[in-house]
Amino acid sequence: MSAFQDFVVLSLVKAAPLIYAALAGVICERAGILNIALEGQLTVGAFAAVAVSFATGNPVVGLLAGVAAGALVGLLLGVAATRFGVDQIVAGTGINLLALGGAAFGLTVVFGQPGASAEVPALGVTGERIIVIGAFVAAVLLHLGLYRTPWGLRTRASGENPRAVHSAGIDPRNVRLVATLLGGALAGLGGVYLSLAELDLYSDGMTAGRGFIALAAVIFGRWTPLGATGAALGFGALAALQFVLQRSGVPSEFMQALPYLAALAALTGIAGRARAPQADGVPYAEV
Amino acid sequence: MIRGLWIGFGLAVVAAAAMLLAGANPLLGFWALFRGALGGERQISETLVQTTSLLFPSLAVAFAFRAGLFNIGAEGQLVIGGLAAGVIGARLDTSGLISIPILLVAGAAGGAAWGSIAGILRARFGGNEVIATLMLNIIAALLANYLVVGPLHSPGAAGAETAELPHSSWLPTLLPDTRLTVALLIALALAFVLRWVFDRTVFGYELRAAGDAPEAARRAGIDLAKTAFVAMALSGAMAGLGGATIVTGVLHRFNVSLSPGYGFIAIAVALVGDLDPLKIIIASFAFGILQSGALTMQALAHVPKDVVSFVEGLAIVALAARRFVAGRKQMTAVAQE
Amino acid sequence: MAITSSTERAGGEPVDAALELRGIDKVYPGGVHAVAGVDLDVFPGEIHALCGENGAGKTTLASIAAGKLKATAGTVVARGNVGLVHQHFELVDRLRVWENVVLGREPRRGAELDRAAARAEVERLSREYGLAVDPDAVVETLPVGIAQRVELLRELARDPAVLILDEPTAVLAPAEIDALFATVRALAQRGTAVLIITHKLQEVVAHTSRITVMRAGKVVARLETGRTNVDDIARAMVGGELPELAARLEIAQHQALAVHGLSAGESSLAVRDASFEVRGGEIVGVAGVEGNGQSALADALAGVIPYRGTIELGGVVLPAGDPAQRIACGIRTIPQDRRREALVLPWSIVENAALGDQRSPSLRRGATVDRKAARELAKRIVERFDVRTPSVDTSVSELSGGNQQKVVVGRALAHDPKFLLVYQPTRGIDVGAAALVQSRLIEARNAGVAVLLISFELDEVLALSDRVIVMYRGSIVGTFERGSIDRARIGSLMAGAGLQAEPVVESA
Repeated sequence: MSAFQDFVVLSLVKAAPLIYAALAGVICERAGILNIALEGQLTVGAFAAVAVSFATGNPVVGLLAGVAAGALVGLLLGVAATRFGVDQIVAGTGINLLALGGAAFGLTVVFGQPGASAEVPALGVTGERIIVIGAFVAAVLLHLGLYRTPWGLRTRASGENPRAVHSAGIDPRNVRLVATLLGGALAGLGGVYLSLAELDLYSDGMTAGRGFIALAAVIFGRWTPLGATGAALGFGALAALQFVLQRSGVPSEFMQALPYLAALAALTGIAGRARAPQADGVPYAEV
Repeated sequence: MIRGLWIGFGLAVVAAAAMLLAGANPLLGFWALFRGALGGERQISETLVQTTSLLFPSLAVAFAFRAGLFNIGAEGQLVIGGLAAGVIGARLDTSGLISIPILLVAGAAGGAAWGSIAGILRARFGGNEVIATLMLNIIAALLANYLVVGPLHSPGAAGAETAELPHSSWLPTLLPDTRLTVALLIALALAFVLRWVFDRTVFGYELRAAGDAPEAARRAGIDLAKTAFVAMALSGAMAGLGGATIVTGVLHRFNVSLSPGYGFIAIAVALVGDLDPLKIIIASFAFGILQSGALTMQALAHVPKDVVSFVEGLAIVALAARRFVAGRKQMTAVAQE
Repeated sequence: MAITSSTERAGGEPVDAALELRGIDKVYPGGVHAVAGVDLDVFPGEIHALCGENGAGKTTLASIAAGKLKATAGTVVARGNVGLVHQHFELVDRLRVWENVVLGREPRRGAELDRAAARAEVERLSREYGLAVDPDAVVETLPVGIAQRVELLRELARDPAVLILDEPTAVLAPAEIDALFATVRALAQRGTAVLIITHKLQEVVAHTSRITVMRAGKVVARLETGRTNVDDIARAMVGGELPELAARLEIAQHQALAVHGLSAGESSLAVRDASFEVRGGEIVGVAGVEGNGQSALADALAGVIPYRGTIELGGVVLPAGDPAQRIACGIRTIPQDRRREALVLPWSIVENAALGDQRSPSLRRGATVDRKAARELAKRIVERFDVRTPSVDTSVSELSGGNQQKVVVGRALAHDPKFLLVYQPTRGIDVGAAALVQSRLIEARNAGVAVLLISFELDEVLALSDRVIVMYRGSIVGTFERGSIDRARIGSLMAGAGLQAEPVVESA
């Protein structure tokens, strides 16, 4: 059925940025960093991609810039959390604020107008498809990486007991830093999708809380890459559903609120009492 | 203290760099900022208005933080409080002596109810209040939008806002022809009350114990779940009260955009103020200067006002390294044993 | 006390030390001088004891020797790898044994982790050192004695020339201790230099050849095991005569606490169907190796976890899960972890003094805290318990462990409790403070308080108790009156030897 096919495609489109952000969340939390700044990373990824695409005329360069911008913000969070002992939740909130402000500021500086950018060279349909497929590839790669490689072992250990990792001769702070860098890059790519693949411009607040939905997906998915991807797909389907039900009497705000309500429900333990990594959000201080 | 000054200096440098990037003159930018904030009676009154709007959610956030809870949802609680005040206020036409208290209480109640949701999730289900309050912020905005445009639409209102409140329900001003109202006095009083609650009362003692050493507090007979719930509810009430004062004092109606992110900036203010209500008054004033001066800075020096939120975000990141909610973290100090 | 040369004369052949520490100094950012000018040599094949009371700097020194911590000054020369088995294991609970053992040195097959090779390595090491363990087991499911093996294996996998063991027998039953020392002896015979940090002097005398004693960060004695005895070592550790405890008085006892069929906690750490009573005017000591249900018992008595069965105080059944009610009835606790469970570290002594009693009429005036009364209370505690502090307004975090514990004990005794639950009262505090705390407990007993003492130090239990009950795997397996304490019997019951139908009861 064509309508069903449309629904599936739309679900995938809506889910793609969520998957990237959720995977970023999984990497970071498994390493022990509570990444509240996913929203900010999506934002800078989206904005940087548009700005650079505008400046260079090349959307692929824009894509790279978006990934780099996300990675940079990830690094900021990682450095603040591991080297300066900054509280991760507060730092994350601050990063979200500065990302939004910075992007809005950037809009005026680069495009001379607030609110939204001009239309810029975008990635086109092929590019869009590649990124969507890339999300699933990334999920599988992350799964293999976490559970089959030495890097994965060290990362998981850092999120559970950084002291033990330190005992084994590895600095858990470096492990966490790498995680935030990778996570930031993934989230940045998710942001790039929003501005350069799904659309061809950046507008204020276009991330619309996706970074927070991704956090919910991480919890629903029990901090595993495949689980989080599944949850993100579910949320994508919810968003797609909203379009389908647009004509019905259901208020659009309710549909938009569904993912967030689902996240609240997850907090009541409906999704099962999975356990977060033991050292999630706990800073590790070496003496 | 010294460290704080260094951070402040660093932030100023970053701001200057951003201004240069925007093609503006940093000196002109800073001058315009301060002129816009403090340059005259009207300007100062506007700055105080911003101070007041920040003070309520900042006290709310600090209150929760002292109890060991991260209330990132002050923004949503503020919106719901404002919504309650606006929706009721647009329909209530009676003497100010009656209507104003009702509206302020409604605002506090709305905020308290919103905060309680996160409180219950935490107390009853052990749900992380960070995620809960973040989600509730967005839900609040969506809910407000829906209600104000739809079922609770006031006749005569255009767009995502209520009709204007009758003049009797407007908060009395402190300075004629300005937006500065008695809300400032209410906020200041609240700060002093909170300070007293923390320092002197048994309730404040138990709250601080729950925040600073939850395990010890539990064994001392303090009900952690109940404390968490009450703290979130009261915190929400304060933020909601702030929303109500914006509705009754500044805008004279409820509008979904009534807050330019006060609930988030409040986190920075609470941190700068060391979670101490009296210091938070000063911090609110400092940030109030930034908020009110930003528009002038944009108009006169052509510096996009978003640089302010950028700097505020940076301030939060830089300041969060301070001694924070000690009980929530593992003591990573070296054990002497 | 400095060392001049690092060669040994054993058997006439000069041999270089495997581990050579010279002039080690460690000052922490807060100003604490943990280690001051320490020299130490450990030779291949020797089992060397490092003794000292808690806070003497032993663990810090060990961390420096193993390269986990940087010294502020001094040199560390190690001829080979240095392995360190920590007092509190540093294992990743949720990972498997093999994952923990190879962490940091993972065998690879291309980009992947070579699980087969890792498992094979664990099995090989197990056989070689006689430490049986299932490579695929998840660490958090293992009993403590087996978990220790995992950490040992992890260190042994690096083929260390020096192996440091920090308080290795603290969590082991007597049989497991014997097995451990057999392994240690075998290691020494292979040429490994072994350094054991311990305060268990009986073990030192039985298994080591040389002893270095530290006090307050410095080396104060170097002894040859063959030429010294437990008392000498103890005196060196304390720097003088051991303080004496208060005298026990003959007093009449009355019914106070009665426990019937108490079950609480989870799986291997649970307490099962425990029944006993503690009379006013007696100290009942619970002997047992850590991890045999003591924490569940303590938490149930304190009212912080749910339980089945009944707990009565003075004939009245206590409601479950209500610490506030317990306090109001006159039950006080001295918890196991004072920093987390008894004190609010950033607060002053005054504020901490009120904790637990903040709602009682003596410390409250309506809705406000009676600061004056709290202050008076704090001053009384500081005086009566000899708390060394500049003032009662000092933050408790600035006090030493011993002084912190005195505050906790003083507060617990300040309101004339009917029942006192004491859990590891002298953990991590200096001998002087420990003696004072123990004396105060005896004095409380003399005054008619019912005291339940849970401690992992058998000596402490035996020294203080009127009656000893032994716990093993959550059950009470034996009861001994003071007059008929049989240490060997208790030891074997602690290890599970006495699993017969009836628990052993020995009366005077």
